[in-house]
Amino acid sequence: MSAIAPAALFTGDRGATLSPDSYLDVSYDDKLALWEEVKADERFPTYLYGCYECGICVAACPSARFYDFSPRKIAQAAAREDVELIYEQMNDDVWQCSQCFSCNRCPRENSPGGLITLLREVSVKNGLASARDALEGYGRVVYKIMTTGTQISPDMLQPDAFPDWGPDVKTTSDNLDLWRRALPPETLHTTEMSWVVSEETLIELYLIWLHSDVMDMIEEVDEGLHMIILDVMEETLEDAGYEI
Amino acid sequence: MPSDRVVVIGAGPAGLEAARLAAELGSPVTLIEKKDVAGGMPIHADYAALTHHFRPASEAMGVMVDAVTGNDQIDLRVGTEVTSVEGELGDFSVTVGTNGSSETIDAGAIILATGFKHFDPGRETQQYQYYELPDVITIADAEKMLKSGEFLTPSTGKKPERVAFIQCVGSRDRQIGNEYCSKVCCGISSKQAIEIREMVPDARVFIFYIDMRMYGYWENEIYWPAQEQHRVNYVKGIITEILPKKGRLMVRGEDTTMGRPMEVEMDVVILAVGMEPSAGTTEMSGVLDLPTNKYGFIETSHDVLDTVTTDVPGVFATGASVGPADLDDSISSAGAAAAKAVALLRSAKVPV
Amino acid sequence: MTDTTFIPLSEIRKAPVPDPADAPTADIREQLFELEAAGELIVQRVPEPYIEVMTKYGRTKKIPEQMTWHHKSCGQCGHIPGYSTSIFWLNRQFGLSYEDPTDQTSCTAWNYYASATSNAVAQAGVASRNFAAAYATGYFPMIHCGTSYGHYKEVRNEIVHHADLRAKVRDIMAKLDKPLVMPEEIVHYSEWIHAMRDRIAERQVRDFSGIVASIHPACHYYKLVTEDAIYDPDIYGGQRTATVTGIVESLGATVGDYSTFFDCCGFGFRHILVQRDFSRSFATQRKIEIMKEEANPDVVITHDTGCVTTLDKSQFATKAHQRNVGVPVLSDAQFAALAMGAHPYRVVQLHWHATDYTALLEKMGIDWEKAWAEFEADLKRLESGEIEYLSWEDADAK
Repeated sequence: MSAIAPAALFTGDRGATLSPDSYLDVSYDDKLALWEEVKADERFPTYLYGCYECGICVAACPSARFYDFSPRKIAQAAAREDVELIYEQMNDDVWQCSQCFSCNRCPRENSPGGLITLLREVSVKNGLASARDALEGYGRVVYKIMTTGTQISPDMLQPDAFPDWGPDVKTTSDNLDLWRRALPPETLHTTEMSWVVSEETLIELYLIWLHSDVMDMIEEVDEGLHMIILDVMEETLEDAGYEI
Repeated sequence: MPSDRVVVIGAGPAGLEAARLAAELGSPVTLIEKKDVAGGMPIHADYAALTHHFRPASEAMGVMVDAVTGNDQIDLRVGTEVTSVEGELGDFSVTVGTNGSSETIDAGAIILATGFKHFDPGRETQQYQYYELPDVITIADAEKMLKSGEFLTPSTGKKPERVAFIQCVGSRDRQIGNEYCSKVCCGISSKQAIEIREMVPDARVFIFYIDMRMYGYWENEIYWPAQEQHRVNYVKGIITEILPKKGRLMVRGEDTTMGRPMEVEMDVVILAVGMEPSAGTTEMSGVLDLPTNKYGFIETSHDVLDTVTTDVPGVFATGASVGPADLDDSISSAGAAAAKAVALLRSAKVPV
Repeated sequence: MTDTTFIPLSEIRKAPVPDPADAPTADIREQLFELEAAGELIVQRVPEPYIEVMTKYGRTKKIPEQMTWHHKSCGQCGHIPGYSTSIFWLNRQFGLSYEDPTDQTSCTAWNYYASATSNAVAQAGVASRNFAAAYATGYFPMIHCGTSYGHYKEVRNEIVHHADLRAKVRDIMAKLDKPLVMPEEIVHYSEWIHAMRDRIAERQVRDFSGIVASIHPACHYYKLVTEDAIYDPDIYGGQRTATVTGIVESLGATVGDYSTFFDCCGFGFRHILVQRDFSRSFATQRKIEIMKEEANPDVVITHDTGCVTTLDKSQFATKAHQRNVGVPVLSDAQFAALAMGAHPYRVVQLHWHATDYTALLEKMGIDWEKAWAEFEADLKRLESGEIEYLSWEDADAK
C-alpha cells in the first residue's frame, strides 16, 4: 500500500474550479483551510490516488441508488482539488454515505468512503451547520456510547423512538426488565447498558476520550451534550481520585 | 565452445520471426519450443482471427511456421526445454532437455521470446464469478468458440441475445498488482464484438470500458466500424458484479455517461483478460540471470532507442516476454533482436 | 424453489487454490512481528489448539478453538441478545473455555461511522484498550460484530503503517498502565463457526434438509481489508467468501442464491437510527424482495449485528406498504444453535426478533408453542422471585 502525496497544483488558484459557484457566503480561504485539514490527516495519502472514472464505486454503493450521491464524484473532486466542489459535497453529500466501504473495491485503491470519513471529521471539528443538522436527534446515542461504552442499550428501544419497527417494540419495552433477567449470560443482566461494563473500564474509556481530543469535537456539534457528557465523566473520574 | 549460432527460446510469433530473420542474415539458428507444436499463443489458445484485418490466426501462423520449418539453417526443436545456460557472449553453452534426454548446444547469442499467459480471472478483485458461472468466459475462451464457427451460450447451447465484454480484467489494477495496461484487449474485444454480431445477427453486444485504447489505425479500421456498421454498444463504466438471475447473468456497473447505477441482464459475459508473464518467462529469467520488473516481465536496458537489449551481453528479449505486446509489436521487436544479435556477433568477430 | 440457474463447473473449469506467493499485498502479520521485534508493540499469539482456514489469497489464518475472550457487540447484546447467547451456548456445548468480560467497551465504530464525532487516535485507543484487557487475561479476542471486526482491521492497518499514530496510542495506553497490544489475528466468531462447522454438524439433532436459506454476507466482514476473509475453492468456486455459506451447507440446508448477494443491507450506522427510510428501502427493495422473488427462502442467515437488525426490523413498515416481505432473519450462530437442539426462547431468544419465525421453527420440527409455554413458565418464576436470573442450566433443562 504505497502513499502518493501529489503537489497541490490547483488550490492556490481560485479560478481553477470547474464547478459553478455555491455557498458564496463562505470565503474561498475558509473552504481551502478545511480541505488542507483533510489532506493533513495521516490516512489521506492511502485514501486517494488517481481516478479513471470506471464507476465501480458507484455500482457497488447503496447510497447511490437512494440519494443523488456518487462516490465517484467525491473521489474526482478530491483528485482535482476542486475546493469549491469539495466544500459543497462536505455540506450536501457526505452524510448520505452509509460507510459500508463497498467502494473499497476501487482498482486504484482509492477509498471514497474513507475520504468521506475524513471530510465528516473535519466538518464536525469545525462545527459546520450541516454536520450539526445531520447529527440532530443523534445526541442521545452519542451520550450513551461516550458515557457507558456501549451504543444502543436495551432501554433505548422505546416505541416512540422506533415506531416503524412494529408493535414488538412496545412488547419488548414493557417486558424489558423481566426479559433481560431471562438471559443466561451474566453480563447481559442490565438495561442501561448493552452489557455490564465495569467501573474501571469506564474510567479508562473516559481517559481515552480526554486524551484524544474527542470532547472538543463533541463541543462543536452540541454544546449542551458536551456539557452533560463532561459532567458524567468528571464526576466518575474525580470519585476515583483523578484530577481533570 | 565459441559459436556464431543464435539460440531463440520460444517459437511463438516473436520467436519465429527472430529465428527467420537471423537465418536470413546468415546465422545458424536453433529455435527451442517447450510445447509440442510451434506457433505460440495464437495456436495453443486456438485464436480465430487476428485483430489486424481479421486475418485467420492459423493461416498467418502457418506462414510463419513454414518459413522456419522449410529453412535448412534453422533447427526447430519442439517439446524441448532449456534447463541451464553457462558462458558469455560468443561462447554460451545452452543445455536443453527433450523427453528425458539432454544435450548441450553452443551459441553465440540468445534471444528470449517466451511470450505471455492470460490473466486468470479467479484472481480478479471484482466479483466476476468465473469459476462459478459457465456463461462467464474470457476472450481466450471466446476465441475458441469463434474458431469453431459458432457462438453459443455455454449453459443452454442456444444463440445468445445479449453479450457483454468487460475490459481491463486483471490490468490497470493496483489491488491485483497489475497496474499496467495490457494493450491488446480493447482491439481484441472490438474485433470479437464484430465477429459475434456477424455470427449472431440478432444479438446485442455491449462493451463496458474505462477507456477505449484504439491506437493508430484501430480507431478507423475497428472502433468506428464496430459502432457504425455493426452497432456494437460501447458504455463507459466497468462492471463490478455478475450474479445469476432467473437463468441469465445480471451484470452491475455504473453508466457513467448517464451518471447512475445500472443493472442489466446478459446471456454471455466475456472478460477481456490481460497479459501476465508466462511460466517460461519466469523460469528463463532465473536460468539466464535476467532482471525482471515488478510485474515479472523481463527488464530490458530501458532505452527507448533500444527495446530488446538486456543487461547480459549477448542476451536479447523480445515480444511479450518484456511486457504486454501486440502482434505487430512482437514481430517488429523480434526483427530488431535478430538484427542486433547477428550484428553483435559479427562485430565481436566470433570465430567459427 | 429457485429461479436461478447454477450449473456446477467442476468438470469444465476447476477453481485453482490460490498460491500465497502470488498475493498482491504484504502479510500484515509479518509486519506486526517486525514491529514487535523492534519493541514497538506486543503481539498476542493465537493459543493452541487452533484450526487453520484459508483466506482470499491462499494464506492460512489461525482460528483459536478455545481460550477466547469474547468481544461483545453492543447492538447484539442490546436488542438481539439471543445472538450473543447463542455464540456462548455453542462454546459451552463443546466444553470450550471462554471469557465473557465486563472489562470490555464497545469498539465504538457504530458511532464513529455514524457521526464522525471521534478520530483515528481515539478509535485506535479504544481498540488497544480492549486488546490489552484481553491480553491481561491470556485469552484471545473473538469479535462478535462484523463492524467491530472490519473496524479493528482498519485500526490494525493504521497502527502498523503510521508511526505517529502508533506513538500517540502507546502514550495513551501508558497513561492507563497498559502495553500496546495487537492480536496475531483478528478473528470473527463466524470464522470460528466456519472452522467448527463439521463438528457442529456432527451434533445436529434437527433436520434442516427442507430449509432454504438465503445468505447475506456483511460488508465490513469481506469488503474492508478483503484479504482477511475466508475463501474456499469448494464454496462458490472460491469467488465469494465462504463464511456463513459453509455452516449453512454443512447443516444440510439449501442455499437460495439471489442476484443482490453483494449488496449492503442498508444499515448505514446513522441511517438506521435517524434516517430509517433509507435503511428500510434498501433492505426491502435490494435484499428481501429480491430474495423472495428469486429464491423464496425460509430464512435469511447473516453474521453481523447491523445486518440482522436492518433486515429483520425493516419488514414491518414495508409490509404495511404491501411490499413482498416476510422472511425471518437469523444469525449463523442462532441457526447453528437451533440445529444442535437449542431452546428457541431460552437460548436463541427469538422473541426479540420482529419478523415472524414460527413457520421456520415448524419446518425445523420444533413445537414452538410448547417451547413458548416453557419460557413463559420461566418468566413466571422470575417474576415471583423464585429465581433471580435464568441460568445456563435452566436454558438447557428438558
